[in-house]
Amino acid sequence: MDIKTQLKSLLQEAEIYRSQGLLDESKNRYNDAVELIQKNAQIKNKQNLLENIQKKINLVNNILSNIGKASTSPQLSSQVQNVIKNKFSFSDDQDSASLEGAIALAKFGQFESALKEFNELVKKKSVQIIAAKNIIRCYNALNLIDEAVVQYEKWLSSGLFPSEHLEKIRFFLENILERKGNKKILPHAPNVKESQDSIGNESYDSRFEDEEFLDISSITISLDKGPLKGKLVEFDVSFQSANIISVIIPEKDKKLIENLVIGATLNNIQFYSPIAIFKGNGVISAKTRIQSGPKKGNYRMDIKVVST
Amino acid sequence: MAIFNLKKREIDCKIVYYGPGRCGKTTNLEYIYKAFKKQVSGEMVSIKTEGDRTLFFDFLPIGLGKLKGCDVRVQLYTVPGQVQYKSTRKLVLKGVDGVVFVADSLKIRYEKNILSLKDLQQNLKDYDLSIFKIPLVMQYNKRDLAEKNIPLMSIEKMERDLNQQLKVPFFEASAITGQGVGACLKKCLMLTLQSLHKQLKWG
Ligand SMILES: Nc1nc2c(ncn2[C@@H]2O[C@H](COP(=O)(O)OP(=O)(O)OP(=O)(O)O)[C@@H](O)[C@H]2O)c(=O)[nH]1
Ligand SMILES: [Mg+2]
Repeated sequence: MDIKTQLKSLLQEAEIYRSQGLLDESKNRYNDAVELIQKNAQIKNKQNLLENIQKKINLVNNILSNIGKASTSPQLSSQVQNVIKNKFSFSDDQDSASLEGAIALAKFGQFESALKEFNELVKKKSVQIIAAKNIIRCYNALNLIDEAVVQYEKWLSSGLFPSEHLEKIRFFLENILERKGNKKILPHAPNVKESQDSIGNESYDSRFEDEEFLDISSITISLDKGPLKGKLVEFDVSFQSANIISVIIPEKDKKLIENLVIGATLNNIQFYSPIAIFKGNGVISAKTRIQSGPKKGNYRMDIKVVST
Repeated sequence: MAIFNLKKREIDCKIVYYGPGRCGKTTNLEYIYKAFKKQVSGEMVSIKTEGDRTLFFDFLPIGLGKLKGCDVRVQLYTVPGQVQYKSTRKLVLKGVDGVVFVADSLKIRYEKNILSLKDLQQNLKDYDLSIFKIPLVMQYNKRDLAEKNIPLMSIEKMERDLNQQLKVPFFEASAITGQGVGACLKKCLMLTLQSLHKQLKWG
């Protein structure tokens, strides 16, 4: 191929790549063209050509920088929001489906609308904890964490939540605050003592991640070793942070406490969450006797979920 | 997973167009929207960002009419191809019944195709789906650019790189001219409905 044809085809490639939005590839071809021109003495009008190519490279750079600056969570029209709400919910159960739709809105950055939805969903017992946590997540994403605190205080006196739900929410919010360097102590729910403050030093992950939304409310473990072999035991999950769940083992279940040792693998755990039941394995990562508060004497066990 | 309403005898399934950034997924849906007006059952929704790139997804609902006494409705989606939108791709893939993998025939996109196919495999796996089992077809797009002397990969090479193990049906296409687009979608629909037929024991 003579130089002229070579140059022509390089520039043509560069143009097409640019028109297709393949910007790095386009730039590469323009740069190849520049190199070719500089290496070849016989090309006439060199300066002119180089200037023209530089202009095109600048153009590509401009597009690239605009792309870099573009918003990743634009406000979407209500028509589009409805599509998201309807098409990204999969459950048969009405409340769970609404919850999934609202989570999808949040995942697609539509925090204000998601907030509206979650605020309706906190009224539904079966999904209210997840909805409340997501309200906190939304405020966090909007950089309005103080609003979340105000909201929590309103919930405290609203009568909408049972105390143990409020405690979970408080714990969740305090963790987010703590991660932001805010050591604010939130008021407790009525009838709950300060007992659980020592529980869960795990930090909460407040991203809108799939896994995070599977709030596990209870588990059953089938024991496959030791004197209790074959027994099924059920626990309510007192706290969850990412893939670590904490359960309380009553003091009186001595055999169980002995049986469940740190490092042991639990196969066949059944996890119950408001939107799904699933099976998985876990490893006991901690077991400590609670030293004070109403749960004093009971044991807190952390299970790290390793696969589901 | 498709929604099958026995009482109303309706079936609702989901096909996702997957592939690297800029390979032509959105252009596929745009062509389908224009060319299959009769089947299109609602507005096309596109959520784009700067430079016409898909930010979240495109969505196009179509209806296939009655099949074995059942009203068949299909939702077509595209994922955003840009690498950084991995979690959005996964979200859009949720509940998928069939996939059209759009590969870019441009030589310079060789590696991107392979990476995207791996990403698809991983995302499916996260939903307990196997790329070897899900209804899947390959589309080798932008074949029209051969006429403009732009370096393209040969079909043989693309088959070797992308489809040697999968061995799924493949189509040469140009989403811009529409060549191969309809045939590719039809094949994917056929495979998807066959598979649903087995799973749901409908008909
Ligand atoms: N010549 C030609 N150009 C095509 C073809 N298909 C798509 N294009 C062009 O390629 C560019 C990208 O197409 P899109 O459909 O936006 O690509 P996409 O796969 O949706 O890209 P992302 O949304 O970023 O993942 C556009 O400029 C299209 O016009 C084709 O078959 N031939
Ligand atoms: Mg697109």
